[in-house]
Amino acid sequence: MRATLAQMQQRLHDTPHLLRLGRLFSETVLLEVDGAEFYLTFRDGRLETIVEGPSRKTPWRFALRTDADALAQFWQPVPKPGFHDIFGLVKIGRGRIDGDILALVKNLRFFKEFMGLARAEASMEELV
Amino acid sequence: MSFEPITGRYLNISVQGRRQRIYVEIAGQGTPVLCLHTAGADTRQWRHILNDAELTSAHQFFAFDMPWHGKSLPPEGFQTEEYLLTTDAYMETVLAVSRALGLDRPILAGCSMGGRIALQLAALHGDAFSGFIAIEASDFQPAWYDIDWFHRPDAHGGEMGAALVSANISPHAPQAERWNTLWMFMQSGPGVFRGDLSFYTRDDSLIGRLAQIDTVRTPVHLLVGAYDLTCTPEDAKRTAAAIPGATCTVMEDLGHFPMSEHPAGFRPFFADALTRMKVPADV
Repeated sequence: MRATLAQMQQRLHDTPHLLRLGRLFSETVLLEVDGAEFYLTFRDGRLETIVEGPSRKTPWRFALRTDADALAQFWQPVPKPGFHDIFGLVKIGRGRIDGDILALVKNLRFFKEFMGLARAEASMEELV
Repeated sequence: MSFEPITGRYLNISVQGRRQRIYVEIAGQGTPVLCLHTAGADTRQWRHILNDAELTSAHQFFAFDMPWHGKSLPPEGFQTEEYLLTTDAYMETVLAVSRALGLDRPILAGCSMGGRIALQLAALHGDAFSGFIAIEASDFQPAWYDIDWFHRPDAHGGEMGAALVSANISPHAPQAERWNTLWMFMQSGPGVFRGDLSFYTRDDSLIGRLAQIDTVRTPVHLLVGAYDLTCTPEDAKRTAAAIPGATCTVMEDLGHFPMSEHPAGFRPFFADALTRMKVPADV
């Protein structure tokens, strides 16, 4: 998972339109995968740090909690229904979004496209 | 010159005592079909059907922008109003447009909130139409989101709305049409998507009316995309099951905006739906 997130970070920094969309986004997002915590701190659209938890002291703005298999399906080139969007994961009971949802919605295109940056590249092996 | 065969005209009608200037697009010759767009969008969603040479050889399609949407203006005095669409105003608008166009019992085809109102009209004004194609339509969908997100001074409601509804577009959709579909939401006027969602997510009056729809006289066919998170195949099937004689087809590779997000994928399902609208002459 850590390697995948680092790859997503690199791709974000190589994607000018995402850096432009996220230029006002400076927040920490908690991504929880099978209970493992990853604190993603964005500054002006760039992913500055990826810090692994657990941590009770790290504040975060919103959280996406899911499981590795769901993320692997989300990252398929053509995901199945429900696995095609972060809200789809919530709808089918494979994800949960907590915290300041409005902060997410205000930056929704940016965050969804960031989450999609591993699409077609991830495999089950990488996620283990 | 290479003009598309679609003609755009403006229609002045009165709805609930207020003057409305309505933009209408027209194409084809034959059986009239009145087309309704989704919430937060406009009649451009139907452009591929209206440009379809084969379908327009036997049908005359009319698609119009609801007041506040697309090229239809909001009514005079809108600047101090909170736009909240209601079932009554929506039904009266559709009926007034159909009358003003001089249509004789057209087929009514609506998507999402357009499909919802098509079913309301099937229940309450079935005589005014010859059949109903209800796309991504269900009896009721409560909101899992806060509709107030989409009209606030510190964020762009259109961009947020587009990002939200992108969850309902199938990954099979061609990129160009995915983004054309989202562009309409991005262009939606302030508070319009919210006002449409108010109708869509708060009025559950259709549930008790489904059983009174007479599908012998006016066929009802539902179409639903497997990637639609808002109106899921289960929602559409449940709705169809409550309408005696209604039929329902699941479109495996499509989402909530099928005619717009994936025109080629939607076309055969819509062509099939049109054939289901034929009623024996003696009924």
